Amino acid sequence: MSAQPSVPDVDNATLEDRLYTVKYEDPGDSHLDVKVPGFCAERCDTDDCIDVCPAGVWQQTDDGVPQIAYENCLECGSCRFACPLNNVVWEYPENGAGVTYRHG
Amino acid sequence: MTEPTETTDPNYDGAFDAIVVGAGLAGSAAAITMAREGLDVIAIERGSSPGAKNVFGGVLYTPTLRELVDVDDAPLERYVAEKRFSMLTPEDETAVSMRPGAWHEEPHNDSYTVLRGEFDEWLAEQAVEDGTVLVTETTVTDLLRDERGTIVGVDTDRPNGELRAPIVVLAEGANSLVTERADLKETADRSDVAVAVKEVLEFPDTEGAIEQRFRLTDEAGVSYHYFGEGAVGDAFGGGFLYTNEDTVSVGIAYRISDAVDRQPKPEETLNAFKSHPAVAPLVRNGRTVEYTAKTIPEGGPDAIPDLVHDGAVVVGDAAGLVLNNGVHLEGTNMAIESGYHAGRAVAEAIEAGRVDAAALSSYPEHLEGSFVVRNLERYGWLMERAIEDRDLLFADLPRAIADAGEEYFRIDRDPKAVHAENAKERVLETVGGWTGAAKLAWRYRKVVS
Ligand SMILES: Cc1cc2nc3c(=O)[nH]c(=O)nc-3n(C[C@H](O)[C@H](O)[C@H](O)COP(=O)(O)OP(=O)(O)OC[C@H]3O[C@@H](n4cnc5c(N)ncnc54)[C@H](O)[C@@H]3O)c2cc1C
Ligand code: SF4
Ligand code: SF4
Repeated sequence: MSAQPSVPDVDNATLEDRLYTVKYEDPGDSHLDVKVPGFCAERCDTDDCIDVCPAGVWQQTDDGVPQIAYENCLECGSCRFACPLNNVVWEYPENGAGVTYRHG
Repeated sequence: MTEPTETTDPNYDGAFDAIVVGAGLAGSAAAITMAREGLDVIAIERGSSPGAKNVFGGVLYTPTLRELVDVDDAPLERYVAEKRFSMLTPEDETAVSMRPGAWHEEPHNDSYTVLRGEFDEWLAEQAVEDGTVLVTETTVTDLLRDERGTIVGVDTDRPNGELRAPIVVLAEGANSLVTERADLKETADRSDVAVAVKEVLEFPDTEGAIEQRFRLTDEAGVSYHYFGEGAVGDAFGGGFLYTNEDTVSVGIAYRISDAVDRQPKPEETLNAFKSHPAVAPLVRNGRTVEYTAKTIPEGGPDAIPDLVHDGAVVVGDAAGLVLNNGVHLEGTNMAIESGYHAGRAVAEAIEAGRVDAAALSSYPEHLEGSFVVRNLERYGWLMERAIEDRDLLFADLPRAIADAGEEYFRIDRDPKAVHAENAKERVLETVGGWTGAAKLAWRYRKVVS
């Protein structure tokens, strides 16, 4: 018997593959934004929006204003609560566009 | 895609007694109640169908629902036959499990796993059968007020999308943009909201995986909750695992204030939880059929906003009515109960020809007398204490208990008494001796009283 019983490998899907499991309709333009880009660049060094997002929507850039890959958004709302400067513009995608969950 | 009903139809304006914002659990419960009281009700839902945007763990609790609809007709996955609570250190698991025989009998302790896509659509259908008009793919963007400030309707993202009615029922869930925009509620602090991610897994290569791994037959299912470092690192929250008919729901939830500084990203935390030695055997070979995310309000009784306003009521998650204290994760029953009481109050007010907050006050009164507010108040203190004691409760104590268990059951040539003494010492050293243990017991006495 081996000393350390093996923990079965769990093949975790990549974030990309995970996001592929969700049906998505592109609303055409972003339902997310930052209110004042300068706040992100000059007054925020925590990037909490990036840390909290389960879908990799918020991405680091050189100028300190996050880039927003809105088409990955799962509409959970976490970034809206997370931003310490209340600097996130958050609307629902129009007319039911965005994600549609089959199971939920 | 089905063609959504247009809310621009001018005949709609003034044709309804009540507008329900969001056809989730709370919204549909309110719609069913009001429609049965003879009101003309319209429910506005942003998803392509009710449930299309909704996520939970989860176990649906049905005591109130049973009063409203025929639960046997509902798309339920499994009844909960086992509840299990596990403390995880990075390597160990110490668990308590319950499988009361009575849970196998109807009504199965009113606890069933469901998937919200299917379930919410079904529940909304019941509201439609009772006469509710359902409009999908339409988002409410704001409330309309008259010159006196009374809420008189909603604006939507449809062209000329304004719609007027005496009462608006705000049932929009945790991400309550409309309620906040209308100044009926402050945006919750990030320490009062949890971020949750979840996967639905299927096991195409392992026949009978769910029955075998969870020791199940027929329609029996399980609800497993996990706490401690092995579940969500040093964040305040936990992991969960529920069995559906052919799939397993696995996920984690923890406070956003921790997500931003104590934790790797939610997705990575989920990966680590699924790979824990106690969890991996249950989810191995699972194929992800869906990945979802949502927030959970967990501000407790202090975070409940005013529930009635001139021309409007707030129900369900939008009103912060969720009990999430580690042991319990219950929002479905509170959403349904609040929708029901709100619906009743609206019917009374309309009957009396009034829409002011005072005329709607039977809703908060009934809710305060119901399990909803009483449970929230009963456990509100537990959250506060648990947060103060988080390192002890979620890291040090689980480790001490796992060590103590190992020591207690150790097989060697020392007498059992020595192991028992060592095990006791291990726990006592963590809680600060007998005095510490007594203090701790006192601090948490109300859990069992
Ligand atoms: C990960 C997770 C696990 C959970 N597990 C459990 C569990 O096991 N057991 C349990 O009892 N509870 C659980 N809960 C809590 C439970 O899911 C909620 O309390 C419950 O869903 C609340 O119902 P609701 O109707 O108030 O809100 P929701 O179910 O969120 O419904 C809101 C509805 O409003 C719609 N909507 C929102 N905004 C608008 C708008 N502006 N215009 C039109 N429509 C709108 C939404 O699309 C949605 O259909 C869990 C929650 C989460 C996130
Ligand atoms: S957390 Fe807020 S302020 Fe900071 S980068 Fe993100 S959006 Fe900008
Ligand atoms: S709503 Fe959720 S998924 Fe969308 S960007 Fe914000 S945190 Fe990410």
